[in-house]
Amino acid sequence: MILIIGGAYQGKLDFAKSALGVRREQVFTCTGRELDFSKPCLYGLEEYCYACVLAGVEPAEEFVRHRDQWKDSILICQDLSSGVVPMGAELRQWRNATGRLCQYLAGQADRVSRIFCGLEQRLK
Amino acid sequence: MTFLISGGAKNGKSGMAQNLAVALARGGTHYYLATMIPVDEEDRERIRCHVADRAGMGFETIECGRDFQASLKDADLSATFLLDSVTALLMNVLFDPANNYALDIPAAERCADQLEAFARKAGNVVFVSDYIYSDAQRYDESTETYRRLLAEIDRRLARVCDVVAEVSAGQAVVHKGAWTI
Repeated sequence: MILIIGGAYQGKLDFAKSALGVRREQVFTCTGRELDFSKPCLYGLEEYCYACVLAGVEPAEEFVRHRDQWKDSILICQDLSSGVVPMGAELRQWRNATGRLCQYLAGQADRVSRIFCGLEQRLK
Repeated sequence: MTFLISGGAKNGKSGMAQNLAVALARGGTHYYLATMIPVDEEDRERIRCHVADRAGMGFETIECGRDFQASLKDADLSATFLLDSVTALLMNVLFDPANNYALDIPAAERCADQLEAFARKAGNVVFVSDYIYSDAQRYDESTETYRRLLAEIDRRLARVCDVVAEVSAGQAVVHKGAWTI
């Protein structure tokens, strides 16, 4: 599994396409709690995390449960970790749950790439 | 050489960029492209601090608040330029004061084109931007548009600049090129 993280608009998906050969039809874009592991690339995991928080579910635990389905995937998640502690409880839980998921996935990943201004910084 | 320096607030980007621009100039002309348009006394105080910080470094200041291309019409392209910051310039351009600060996206796109073209043709430039992309917030549409457009400029500049660095606690993490002058 390859984990791609980075801030908003940094070019994470573009990197998956240009450097890892991901095609548009291979990308599942998260908009809620649904995940389609039949696609090799899952994009926007932070939105999946947000939906999990609203539903009272821990996203990292969900990923542990489905480990065999994503172990060869490319997973893309926005880094939400570096702002002021959000005022809203939901946003705080969102940030925490997304951080826990990224830590778990980074531990499992063969490669972790952080994208900064469109450039790859290899973290693992 | 062309440099893009970004990173979080108050990490030393401006000071590092000023020293870099002076070194790149090797005694020649170096311009400071000032992007802040003061609206109150707090802004004027910040500008006074910035001017004091640069005193003795030999910069020629060019006011570059809104129209990037026009402000450079008399400048010597073979000189060294420090633009601090892309963030402030885009803010001035995108939110149009003549139209109740409504979003002027075409103006922002023109500004992005001009910045990239300038990075391609000028010899020595240091661009300073701000990394504002890793927080857990849901912003309103105009703020989100601003973030997206700033990131697009950052990425376009990162593509054409020789060196891209992220400054953290006054230290440069180099993402592209080699920091040698």
